[in-house]
Amino acid sequence: MRSILKDERWSKALEQIKLWARQNSPWAIHFNSGSCNGCDIEILATLTPYYDVERFGIKLQGSPRHADILICTGPVTRQARDRLLRIYEQMPDPKFVIAVGSCAISGGAFDGCYNVVGHIDEVIPVDVYVPGCPPRPEAIIDGVVKLLGKMQGEAES
Amino acid sequence: MNALQQAQDMLTEWVEAWTEPEENRLDAQVTPANLLSAVKALDDHAWGYLVAITGLDAGVEAGTLEVLYHFCAGPAVLTLRVTIPREQAAVPSICTLIPYAGVFERELAEMFGIEVYGTPDPSRLFLPDDWPEGVYPLRKDTELD
Amino acid sequence: MPEERFSIPIGPQHPALKEPGHFVFTVDGEVVTGASVRLGYAHRGIEKATEGRNWVQNLYLLERICGICSHIHATAYCLGVEKLAGVTAPPRAQAIRVLVAELERIHSHLLWLGVAAHQAGFDTLFMYSWRDRETVMEMLERLTGNRVNYSANILGGVKFDVTEPAMDAIRHGLRFLEERTSHYVDVVREDRLFLQRTEGVGVMTRAQAERLGVTGPTARASGVPRDLRVDAPYAAYGDYTPRIVTETAGDLKARFIVRLNELSETYQLIRTLLDNLPEGELKTRMPRRIAAGETISRVEAPRGELFYFIKSEGGEQPARIKVRTPTLSNMDSVVRLAIGHQLADMPMLLAGIDPCFSCNDRLTTVQTGDETRLWTWEALRQYGIDYYREKV
Repeated sequence: MRSILKDERWSKALEQIKLWARQNSPWAIHFNSGSCNGCDIEILATLTPYYDVERFGIKLQGSPRHADILICTGPVTRQARDRLLRIYEQMPDPKFVIAVGSCAISGGAFDGCYNVVGHIDEVIPVDVYVPGCPPRPEAIIDGVVKLLGKMQGEAES
Repeated sequence: MNALQQAQDMLTEWVEAWTEPEENRLDAQVTPANLLSAVKALDDHAWGYLVAITGLDAGVEAGTLEVLYHFCAGPAVLTLRVTIPREQAAVPSICTLIPYAGVFERELAEMFGIEVYGTPDPSRLFLPDDWPEGVYPLRKDTELD
Repeated sequence: MPEERFSIPIGPQHPALKEPGHFVFTVDGEVVTGASVRLGYAHRGIEKATEGRNWVQNLYLLERICGICSHIHATAYCLGVEKLAGVTAPPRAQAIRVLVAELERIHSHLLWLGVAAHQAGFDTLFMYSWRDRETVMEMLERLTGNRVNYSANILGGVKFDVTEPAMDAIRHGLRFLEERTSHYVDVVREDRLFLQRTEGVGVMTRAQAERLGVTGPTARASGVPRDLRVDAPYAAYGDYTPRIVTETAGDLKARFIVRLNELSETYQLIRTLLDNLPEGELKTRMPRRIAAGETISRVEAPRGELFYFIKSEGGEQPARIKVRTPTLSNMDSVVRLAIGHQLADMPMLLAGIDPCFSCNDRLTTVQTGDETRLWTWEALRQYGIDYYREKV
């Protein structure tokens, strides 16, 4: 992230996204659909001062009913599938989904395992995919920022 | 006398056969009928603790399943081995002696289709509620996609 | 006795919800009278999957059982398979396995400290411990190329070497961590609000701990001197032996003290290791087919005893791999200890055994008489915080 910010065009775009996000305060919730926790701990790391994802204007909280963004990990186990759907249904429109990690994208190492339903986008629509096993916090933040940019674009059109 | 030798003495009455698969390990073949007595002998002498219960399927042709009860004391591992038929596979619960064996027994039952009679909570541990009855993931003849 | 109705708003309430709660607590007023556990949320079917993959593929699968203690799983697996194959990894490789395992222990304990603090409402402690944890994350990344899932192990040894600059960076980082750890010990021992949530709570006597087959810091906090690195040394622990850290109180506070004091032992162990790293190869040849046999591999994961049973029938794929994680047996102790405690103590009681951390996604069923309500773990956590805040 630090080297990207040296690029003037990118840093201008980033500033606009941050401005929009701070004005509109999107709220995000996090859901683990059966992951090994590797992605979840890196998502949690983004909340800590070292990475501070909330400076981009996004706020992580608990209830789907107030959430704009769902940050989702895991290969979707059978138990998790219904809960995932329910959480998505409870979110008001417009809503967006970030799938974090290889498992969320393709089932990862667990593709083919019997209790694993599949990738998240087989259950709910996904807007941003952050690959990695797990992706590092900077990559997660990059995904969040890209989503914020997309949300800003849709809001302004 | 080391821990495994002590265990051997405690269990002689109940064990049909002994093997030493690795250093620091002793395997003891017991019948389902003698399982509780064997566990009680270990428990009475406070020999180690139950670490895990492993189910094994030798395959349809062999016609049997095995249940392994692993007890550990320091580096020593004593395993009680029980062989049971694949049809009507059943073992007695050891929860009256070892209360926390319950979670291990639940896992064994749902994965291998072994009835653990007397286990206090026979409900599913890992498999979802809507998992089909009669499908035991870890049996060799269970094909899962 | 009149039964209290909870008026705390809980997440979405769906009486027809068939999904099982992770825990089911039966309460009478505020006291838990019954508890049971229902797992499966992260059940992926890994043991079955291992039977359809070769020995190398399984290394990559088993490393991902848990993102927090990936390396210890891989180590247990490799040591087991090497035993079956009659192969011993070279001394330098074994020492590097220990180095990564101890760095993993540091990251895991600091992660846990933050999460446990969060459960109690001490978010400042959470933020500080996770900031400090970045120091060890950087060490791991520098050494292995990855912050999580370091993938240090291969069958027969390790993938990378430890250089002098990496060793210096580790030594430097350890000095910082040592100072921070001693600060955390002070907080745990002296902070009045912290003590209220932990002192005398969740007491497990030594006899109970032994009877419940508990392992790891949870057992050691009850005075059980059980640590596989010492009792049954594996990899290079025979050369670098830690002191077994125990406490006697057996309460939640003791579980905090044990983990923090274990960190001090780990810092010392790493220093000794770095000063005495044996020369030599990083790996040894492994056959593709592993000789028939059954092996047991037991290692001391950050949470307690990790047990692997591996069976080969002489082929390129295992016949059976059984994994018993420490959390599974330690979980039973939570369920038993819960009875007689306040519902408000449940978040901390669970935190005390250091379980899979994403329990805050779990739903919990609370039964009061005929009434059953589903709570999110977050709601339960907040209930605990509010309950003790009112007591002050």
